[in-house]
Amino acid sequence: MPVIKLHSIYLSLLFALVLQILPWSGLGLMLRPDFVLLTLIYWLLRAPQLCNIGTAWFIGILIDIATGGLFGQNALAFAFSAFFAVIYQRRLALFNIWQQAAYVFALLVLTQATLWVLKLFAGGESPGWGFFLPCVSGILLWQTVIFSRIGIDGQSGKN
Amino acid sequence: MRRAINPQHTQAFFVRGPSPFARLVLFAALSLTLMATDSRLHYLTEIRQGLIALLHPLQILANAPFNAYKATGEYLSTHNTLLKENTELKQQALFQSAELQRLKSLENENANLRNLLGAAQASKQPAKLGEILHMGRDPFVHRIVVNLGAHHDIVAGQAVIDGTGVIGQVTRVYPFSSEVTLITDKDLAIPVQIERNALRAIAFGHGRDTSIDLPYLPANVDIRQGDKLVTSGIDGIYPTGLTVAEVVSVSSNANSPFAHIVCKPVAGIENHRQVLLLGLQQPEAASGVAANAAATTKETAPAKASPPPKPKTPAKPNASH
Repeated sequence: MPVIKLHSIYLSLLFALVLQILPWSGLGLMLRPDFVLLTLIYWLLRAPQLCNIGTAWFIGILIDIATGGLFGQNALAFAFSAFFAVIYQRRLALFNIWQQAAYVFALLVLTQATLWVLKLFAGGESPGWGFFLPCVSGILLWQTVIFSRIGIDGQSGKN
Repeated sequence: MRRAINPQHTQAFFVRGPSPFARLVLFAALSLTLMATDSRLHYLTEIRQGLIALLHPLQILANAPFNAYKATGEYLSTHNTLLKENTELKQQALFQSAELQRLKSLENENANLRNLLGAAQASKQPAKLGEILHMGRDPFVHRIVVNLGAHHDIVAGQAVIDGTGVIGQVTRVYPFSSEVTLITDKDLAIPVQIERNALRAIAFGHGRDTSIDLPYLPANVDIRQGDKLVTSGIDGIYPTGLTVAEVVSVSSNANSPFAHIVCKPVAGIENHRQVLLLGLQQPEAASGVAANAAATTKETAPAKASPPPKPKTPAKPNASH
């Protein structure tokens, strides 16, 4: 198995960030999967010794800056999800694809739920169920990538 | 069994640094502190501006394909559409020049009358043409980002309009861009006037959908469907007489002493690319406009040095009806 390089993690996260801040609008914005979170979860499950809760927190801060929201809200939500991703990481490696997908979906929902709670605390109005649409589109994207066996790890379809 | 992810195993099996829980506690505490500092103390404005300057190349990169697409679209627009647009614009210019002539004479007359009254001249506000870069990243917050920032002398608190009416107010300024809170946002309030009977009120964004509320007006208030709301100008931020919205429905509920009034914004909030950012009025010019507006203006004018004012600034109690 090839050794994962640290810079490939950072490059992929940066690429996900660019995808995230494309000028989405309208329905696309509502449905936009959280590219950064998905990339992050992938690396958290795959290489927790290189990409841990701290990485998640810093990339969350970057998103906060890019979106102009309350400083630290995405960072907190990402750190939360990263925590749950990391503590079950060894067990998760033994799961099959569908179990892993279910767990990833739970992580996505957890992030959105944290953001929702923070939004309510900050005095915003409740945004409605559309707030959780990115979780659904996110998990669809996750499964598409997993099934298409895109060779992110340079050993597509062999394991 | 097929596995999606093959974790990479560490060389040192048990050495994993601080436990995940310790890390979580550390970073959660950090972000809670940041959030509290940001929302209550406003210390982070400069840090945020510095960091967004770092992200600026990334933003340009992300916007590049769409700008290229737009540019080619404009280049390839056909001869016919250009001709059609040209004739339409010529007609429009003709109509408008006629109206402009009338406006000139009215302006002269108005200036004379003001001189007679001894009132200060209402200042003409300088305006800058900006382009909308993108909608806000968060679909549940009504904000847009425009391409003018601190480098173009934009300050927080400036009013933003388009050809048809008010769009919103600048709430956060970055070096090369600035954030505009739309009038449909829950946090933005605008002092308005009913055009028909000059009744003053304050309009609040609804937040959920693109509409505006007129709360706290009695059930028997003289507002009808189709009435136009214009800015009253007593806040010293928005000039007088800009169209804001049109009343869509007026209803009263027996349980509530207030009328339920829903308005639709007139400006093309969702579909324009160019907007005008109006400069803030000078305090000495505004003091003559309305006696009770001076206090509000003075609070918002030195916004350059202080952290951006809350969008609610125009809604001073003394500006209400």
